[in-house]
Amino acid sequence: MAVVRVLAVALSLSLLAGCAPSAAESPGATTVKNCGIDVSVDGPPKRVFAAYQPAIELAHALGISDRLVGTAYLDSQVLPEYTAAQSKAKYFKNLPSREELLSLNPDFVLSGFNDVFSAAGSDASFGSRKGLADLGVQTWIFSPLCPTADGKGDEAIDPATVSMDNVYADLRDLGRLFGVEDRAAQVIADQKRRIAAVSDAVKDAPRPTVAIIRPGLEGGGMTVSGGPDFGTVLIRQAGGVNAFADLTSKRNVKISVEEFIKRDPDYVLISGCCDASLTPAASQPDVNKILANPAFANLKAVRSKHVVPWLFANHSAGVRGAYTTENLGHILHPDLGRVW
Amino acid sequence: MKRAAGLVAVLAVVVVLSLCVGDRWIGPGEVYRALTDFTGSDSDRVVRYLRLPRTVAGLLVGAALGLSGAVMQGVTRNPLADPGILGVSAGAAVAVVAAIGLFGIHSLSGYVWFAMGGALVATVAVYLVGAVGGTTPVKLALAGAAISALLGSVTSAATLLDLSTLNEYRFWVVGSLSLADHGIVAQAVPFVAFGIVLALVLGRSLNQLALGDDLAQALGTRVLLIRVLAGLAVVVLAGTATAIAGPIGFLGLAVPQVARLVVGPDQRRILPWSMLLAPVVLLLADIVGRVVARPAELQVGIVTALIGAPLFIALVRRRRTAAL
Repeated sequence: MAVVRVLAVALSLSLLAGCAPSAAESPGATTVKNCGIDVSVDGPPKRVFAAYQPAIELAHALGISDRLVGTAYLDSQVLPEYTAAQSKAKYFKNLPSREELLSLNPDFVLSGFNDVFSAAGSDASFGSRKGLADLGVQTWIFSPLCPTADGKGDEAIDPATVSMDNVYADLRDLGRLFGVEDRAAQVIADQKRRIAAVSDAVKDAPRPTVAIIRPGLEGGGMTVSGGPDFGTVLIRQAGGVNAFADLTSKRNVKISVEEFIKRDPDYVLISGCCDASLTPAASQPDVNKILANPAFANLKAVRSKHVVPWLFANHSAGVRGAYTTENLGHILHPDLGRVW
Repeated sequence: MKRAAGLVAVLAVVVVLSLCVGDRWIGPGEVYRALTDFTGSDSDRVVRYLRLPRTVAGLLVGAALGLSGAVMQGVTRNPLADPGILGVSAGAAVAVVAAIGLFGIHSLSGYVWFAMGGALVATVAVYLVGAVGGTTPVKLALAGAAISALLGSVTSAATLLDLSTLNEYRFWVVGSLSLADHGIVAQAVPFVAFGIVLALVLGRSLNQLALGDDLAQALGTRVLLIRVLAGLAVVVLAGTATAIAGPIGFLGLAVPQVARLVVGPDQRRILPWSMLLAPVVLLLADIVGRVVARPAELQVGIVTALIGAPLFIALVRRRRTAAL
């Protein structure tokens, strides 16, 4: 009997120790830093929830599709190479509530957008990252979207952190956490090779200015991608300049229509969003609206018909980086496009 | 008479300002040339296709909201009534949500009809609920508040359930004049004109209604008819205004109050004053919104709320002290 009792006590103690949130790290733990927060796992996470397009595509790219307990809120169709994997994943059209999320019993939440962890998110919020960690759920945001403090949203991004190098570092770290380091290294190498091919080909070409605008949100002006938006990096890699790179207060900056006319960008990309079946063609009506609007008739982009239906998903930080750089290279430098 | 001429002059100045002020100052001379001798230059296009429709929208929306607020306050004999209180705005908003979410209508010219229809249905519903066992202004206002609350929660639920398609609604709902273009403005003109004529004609009857239903009836006023016509004017005016600019608060509430302070209790003077004063306030708010947050714009609904809220509190406080 005594033996049983000792065993029971020992067992319950070890269970307690297991439950205690990050009190003492077990020897097998892997820890990396993400946006200044320690992300620690005892072994590769098995029940992953991926919110937003970049996180969902990242999971498929790393080959952990079978560990997804849920995916939510796609901005567009996933890249063709992930279509099959995504069709098998449980999908929420809108973000689940915090309770719904927790009822899936995830051990890891990957997010492609920081507002989901903000205290006052624009959409439903899962709660702050620390709050989730206390429940045993580790979390991740792409580091180019790092808010300056936990619980903050989009407005707190440091533009200096917005780079492809951060995406690579994220991939390496996630490779370690998920035990798929080789796959991560492959993904990084592939991204680097493809982006370098485009950048090399366009390096001596003239650099047109590009505006990324969001349709349907024009109440009181229009919304464009500012400096901290990943689009700035992608446009640069493809041999262009974000016409609004100097506006660094937020990723999505509201400007007046008159300001837009004053800047007179060479290209206008319509950032279509948000539906799992969306393709760029869905933005064609918005393109036509801009081309037909007499207020815009003098714009360079309008006169040369360089108003392009495009995707919000394309300019999010993540493994779409190479795809988007190639895509933008074709748009901005069609004559050089045979190189990649 | 002198004061009325002054108000018209102020309105004219504000209209000119609204055409001149923006991302770049365009002088009155250049504005005049852009309107009379269009060359297709950037500033010509800005004046003609951005600032002009926006200014006309401000005139229409302002006049409509000011008048409908004055009519509402007159007919309900409730100084705190505004187009919101008969469920007009809430009905329009629900209908716009349905237009976007259920029918996939994403153009403002499509919203107009839904907003008007929603406003009408809600107002009739409010009247039917309020009319049970005899209409009184208080019951009408209570029914309006209740149905507004109900419709408001339907709207919230719909927007929460379908974030992606209703994104544009979330921006429309703040209230902005910059959504207007020539087509929408042209569509709105007949509605607003009809509403203005109807509202102004009602002035004398509203004066009699102010004496109370019994006395008004004794004086030969057809109380029910006046209420129906007033309701029609409010629906047309506020419904159209809401469709053009989204719901804009406080204007319909505060402007008739100010008009009453200036010209006294005669509805025949309050109504035209409200019609002229509200666009002055709205356009000024819009001009402020254009310049304070550059390179962005503050939506006019936000500015009117910022200006209107303290004004409203001041009015309520003033009234309370007077009543004591």
